[in-house]
Amino acid sequence: MMERNTMQPLARFEKLYSNDRHLWRLIFLIIVWMIFIAITRFSRFYSLLNFQTMAAQFPEFGLMSLGVMLCMITGGIDLSVVGIANLTSILMAYLLIQMTNASGMIPAYAIPLVFVLAVGIGAALGIFNGILVSKFHIPPILATMGSGELFTGICLALTKGNAVSKFSRTYARTINNRIFDLIPVQLVIFIVMAILIWFLLSRTVFGTKLYMLGTSATAAKFSGLKTDRLLIKTYMLSGVCAALGGMIMLANYNSARADYGTVYTLQCVLIVVLGGVNPVGGKGKISGVVLAIILLRMLETGLNRFPTISSYYISLIWGGVLILIMVLNYFTENTPRFRKKIAR
Amino acid sequence: MKKVIALVLLVLLVMPVLFAAGQAEKKGGYEIVVVPKDASNPWFVRMKVGVDEYAKETGLNVYQRGTPQIDATLQAQLIQDLIAQGVDALCVVPVDLESLEPVLGQARDAGIVVVTHEGAALENVDYDIEAFSNAGYGAFIMDNLAEAMGGEGVYTTMVASLTNGSHNEWADAGVAHQKSAYPKMQLLDAEKRVESFDNGDVAYNVAKELFKKYPNLKGIMGTSSYDAPGVARAIEELGLIGKAFTSGTGMPLDNAALLESGVVKSLTLWDPALAGKAMIALAVKVLDGDKIEGTVDLGVDGYTNMKFKAGSDTVLEGEGWIVINADNVYDFGF
Repeated sequence: MMERNTMQPLARFEKLYSNDRHLWRLIFLIIVWMIFIAITRFSRFYSLLNFQTMAAQFPEFGLMSLGVMLCMITGGIDLSVVGIANLTSILMAYLLIQMTNASGMIPAYAIPLVFVLAVGIGAALGIFNGILVSKFHIPPILATMGSGELFTGICLALTKGNAVSKFSRTYARTINNRIFDLIPVQLVIFIVMAILIWFLLSRTVFGTKLYMLGTSATAAKFSGLKTDRLLIKTYMLSGVCAALGGMIMLANYNSARADYGTVYTLQCVLIVVLGGVNPVGGKGKISGVVLAIILLRMLETGLNRFPTISSYYISLIWGGVLILIMVLNYFTENTPRFRKKIAR
Repeated sequence: MKKVIALVLLVLLVMPVLFAAGQAEKKGGYEIVVVPKDASNPWFVRMKVGVDEYAKETGLNVYQRGTPQIDATLQAQLIQDLIAQGVDALCVVPVDLESLEPVLGQARDAGIVVVTHEGAALENVDYDIEAFSNAGYGAFIMDNLAEAMGGEGVYTTMVASLTNGSHNEWADAGVAHQKSAYPKMQLLDAEKRVESFDNGDVAYNVAKELFKKYPNLKGIMGTSSYDAPGVARAIEELGLIGKAFTSGTGMPLDNAALLESGVVKSLTLWDPALAGKAMIALAVKVLDGDKIEGTVDLGVDGYTNMKFKAGSDTVLEGEGWIVINADNVYDFGF
């Protein structure tokens, strides 16, 4: 169907498609799924409340995915995002407890303050990762797996495995709020971060360098890029994203704990790959990752509308979609090259 | 083009299955969803048996929906999805109490009835169901031990640790029950309470030592699910089968061999299938607008005489304990 469109003489349209095959495929899948839900479960899916719920649900792991994406573009990965998120949220939860007064209120400056501090902590933890990867040349998968364990370990030691809560509910209420009674605050935080990263990737030298580094680390080094600093900055950004994800989790669950969101590590990697980021590095767009995040949330929420579909199938369908996309990628990524060869 | 056709075919293939799934939903009455800690744990698979049975008996649109893994965040998101979907009641077995409070609050704000199980400390609930009161369960374990011991002899109690709240309440209640109901039994004065640290090996070693040190010791009342099985191994090894006895909480399949060989006559437990049914029955009562006060009869075995926990107006306690012996050990699937 989508190909028939592109076969039309509209060359501009074809170019649009062939530039972003991956993107279009994700959009196509989302539309198919939306039509399917519309046919089967219209009234239970297409409600304002449902879309608001979904928009409030995905920012926490969406933000972590953005960080993983940045690292993957450089050819690395960040498996410590959940550890960073939990460590940040636990530390901030302790701070919020300190600031909560006897009547259960926190001063007005408390919320901006914890966010600024959270960004700082996330950046610091990210820099730690970056140093491990760049200065000590530890493969990113091992370095971040190790640091992730370390951060989770610190969380466990701090909390003895218990949930940290009993801070003023004002914090959770503020973040769980909806602007103009319509847009969830969590979504706004996500959008701001996504635009920032989009800008960095596509409008700044930093972004260009990132893609260069991912395409060929050796070439990047010989062309005079300061790869160490570049990597440290990338992991720092990832840490900041993860920390913000942690702050949203802190609000959504009104508590922090060492083992919240442990399933997100794998989920983030899946989203990023599904979003069309090349696991070897050098390729990938934020738009793809954002679409993948939306697709995942819609699939999961949609499937929850079918009581008879056991949740075992959620993993099955999710895995199926991922493999389907990668197989389709193989075909579309290979055919143009094939065609070019013939043309030559 | 080929891949597009393939994709369309795939979608067409999947559609009927999902459609069929969709049609099944058209049952009248309330929509009540049971959310366990996860979907694959045998304990909650057993709970689903009860939920499905209830749906069949009443024709209500009742079903169980769990997350693929035990995870507090996944459970919260599933509940949010169900709230957005506008179900009538939610019956939840919480993974983590703290993280669920705001979500359950959202549910209640949306006018959804919330019933929980094993969440006595939760605030944002209509009611919480506990299978039993700690005192009642302790007395029940004592009944089982006394039956095995023939109502006489020296015994002692075992808990995971002396600081564990519910275990010690069970043990205290067991001892109190023995004093009033089994006067010929006697608590070992030298060591009234021993610790197993929730570890079968520790329970085994402690029991071995006790039986050697006090030859007249005839029974050990276990509380944690590792106590009685560990003690049983000691009884078996010391050749005391038929002379020394134990009873306490225990999982059926793990202890099938012990029960079948007669080392342990009975273990005690509660049945998640019945707990699931009881949660739904209570939710239906609340939806129907029935007053929940005094003693509550949910029409489910062991939950016919539920009473509010002292000092609480949300926590209801039943008498939902069951005996596990050689006859029914394979009935539960866990």
